[in-house]
Amino acid sequence: MMSIKMKSGVLKRMRNLLKSSLFWILILSLAVLTACTNSDSNTNDEKSNEDKPGTDETAGKVSIEFWHAMSGTGQESLDAIVEGFNESQDKYEVKAEFQGTYEESLTKLRSVGGTKDAPAITQVFEVGTKYMIDSGYIEPVQSFIDKDNFDLSTLEQNILNYYKVDGELYSMPFNSSTPVMIYNKTAFEKAGLDPEKAPETFSEVIATAEKLKTDDMFGFSMLTYGWFFEQLVATQGGLYVNEDNGRSGDATEALFNGPEGLNVFNFLDTMNKAGTFGNFGTNWDDIRAAFASQKVAMYMDSSAGVAGAIANAPFDVGVAYIPYADEVQRNGVVIGGASLWMSKGIAENEQEAAWEFMKYMTTPEVQAKWHLDTGYFAINPKAYDEENVKEKWAEFPQFKVTVEQLQDTVPGIATQGALISVFPESRQQIVTALEDLYQGADPQEVLDQAAEGTNRAMEIANKTKK
Amino acid sequence: MNTHVKPGIWRRTGNARTAFLYLLPSVILFSVFVFYPMFRTIYLSFFLTNQNGEAALHVGFENFAYLLESSAFLNSMKATVLFVLYTVPIGIIIALFFALLANEKLKGIGFFRTVYSSTMGISVAASSVIWLFLFHPSVGVFNRVLSVLNFPQIQWLLDPEWALISVSISTIWMNTGFSFLILLGGLQNIDEHLYESSRIDGAGYFYRLRRITIPMLSPTLFFIITISLINAFQSFGQIDILTKGGPSQSTNLIVYSIYREAFINYQFGTASAQAVILFIIILIVTILQFKFGERKVHYQ
Repeated sequence: MMSIKMKSGVLKRMRNLLKSSLFWILILSLAVLTACTNSDSNTNDEKSNEDKPGTDETAGKVSIEFWHAMSGTGQESLDAIVEGFNESQDKYEVKAEFQGTYEESLTKLRSVGGTKDAPAITQVFEVGTKYMIDSGYIEPVQSFIDKDNFDLSTLEQNILNYYKVDGELYSMPFNSSTPVMIYNKTAFEKAGLDPEKAPETFSEVIATAEKLKTDDMFGFSMLTYGWFFEQLVATQGGLYVNEDNGRSGDATEALFNGPEGLNVFNFLDTMNKAGTFGNFGTNWDDIRAAFASQKVAMYMDSSAGVAGAIANAPFDVGVAYIPYADEVQRNGVVIGGASLWMSKGIAENEQEAAWEFMKYMTTPEVQAKWHLDTGYFAINPKAYDEENVKEKWAEFPQFKVTVEQLQDTVPGIATQGALISVFPESRQQIVTALEDLYQGADPQEVLDQAAEGTNRAMEIANKTKK
Repeated sequence: MNTHVKPGIWRRTGNARTAFLYLLPSVILFSVFVFYPMFRTIYLSFFLTNQNGEAALHVGFENFAYLLESSAFLNSMKATVLFVLYTVPIGIIIALFFALLANEKLKGIGFFRTVYSSTMGISVAASSVIWLFLFHPSVGVFNRVLSVLNFPQIQWLLDPEWALISVSISTIWMNTGFSFLILLGGLQNIDEHLYESSRIDGAGYFYRLRRITIPMLSPTLFFIITISLINAFQSFGQIDILTKGGPSQSTNLIVYSIYREAFINYQFGTASAQAVILFIIILIVTILQFKFGERKVHYQ
């Protein structure tokens, strides 16, 4: 009897212990569970302010977060600019945080957008513009421009054109680039061509590529990336989608499979079939390495890649405007890159801090530094009058070409750039179309497939829009 | 003590309740991290999502119907099956070969055991970057070697005919270390006496391999085949870094296609539908494997 009693006592105690530890496990799991659900809900207003920046009582400074997607030299330069801002005044403090690629940081923003936890400023790529406007997460910078009587005419008009929607500026342009054609001057000389005169039209490029082609070197190449295709369509005055490139309403139909798009595909197809086109894939580094190691004589790059191309090439590098179809006028280029967006739903003084920082970013000194460090455009043209920029331009006149190409651009719907929320998907369709083209598929057929895919994506986006 | 009253339901289920309490921690963790996401995925697969990834429009089985008709998705399925066929058998045969070599008792065999299993210590991302350099079209080692030997250059990752093979080669390399380690462990567990007695009976090396080693290793082999199959179906990192699904969709395996649909195109509905289909495929393959493969497994 005794032993049984003892046993049951032990059992009881054990059960109590078990119960209590289970109780704790339960509490813990519940905590985990609520934490998980909290992070995806957007109505998370009651969360305490301790772990997030805001008004810092002790220092009396307003501290805000700035999410960006700049790595490498861009990040170094950006960190230096942010530090400069923090030291220039004592009211605000900006914390720059690298959040991965443009796609990655946008994905992260989606989980906190519109709440107090959202960063005050986020850098979003140009094709995310429509998505950001539709998202409802953001405060248009236009409201601060109006309040502050900020003079927009000091900024580059061609860049503003892209980001202005219905005459309103939603985000502050920041890092902007355009495509250029970069070529190997030494190879031009060897082939008996004038290295100062780059081919301008599609047929000239085709003929030049033919002459430049050797056993080790292709004549022309283009990164398999939708952006370049968009640009080659726009420079012919072609539209990407209907509804005035999506600027007068929600686009419903892709137009890039029209004659302008077909011109581009035929242009690439001709060279590919003649064996003068080198396919170096979808990776920026690969095509740049191919150019530097003289595997290709002419290629399309971003203006932000000019500095690297000059530095890495053991030969003379030329920079030219992007080619256009023979039968049309050159329209110029569409701005690429990214802009800075201000969050909605954060404290007012944080928005003010964000606005002050944005204004600081547009000053000529900052823009001159940014332009020289990275090769992105200065969004404030006065930056080009800065002494250090003039010096660099004298040394590398190639930089000037990129700016001139932008300033020569004819303003219009085509060069304003398309505005659709499903751009990443559409670009993917173009990549597939290009890859199929290089495998010998029919240009019109692959373009039509890409257009069909884009149409479906736009249809879903319009159907599910709030 | 000696009461003959029938114990109440509370008392009769005592064991079950205790068992449940013991299971509770894992039940909760699984629910949070496995079951909830799974049911959420199934739920989302019947919807079209808006730009914020919230379910917006109920479409029933439309996502599935669209996928089964879409040539891109069928191509993804085909690429996935090919990828599994390329990587799993070859990877296991190579790992088995190395494991048999490394199981010999020789001086300094520890060094080789370390080397053969070393790929396990490298992350998928790091090794993919290494392979990216090896495959590089203009400065890569492979093309350099080919040109020295006067062979035509191969566009490893850019030619749709080659890209899947190239990715498979790097995947085999990455997975060999793990398979090797598991198989070597299995080999070490085989009772030495079996070999001794067979040697006394005059059995040759290959006879012993066929009649002792493989049957005794079969539980381990079965385990590694199952794990490798599931891993191969779920390969993602190397695709993302080496090819991003290209060229011409030739390496757009289902998991990568799900990622792209969800996190680049923000179409969580179709992405979830793909995930459900992948789940069903893996389920069927695993069931088939247990049904037919396990018969050949010899448990001690």
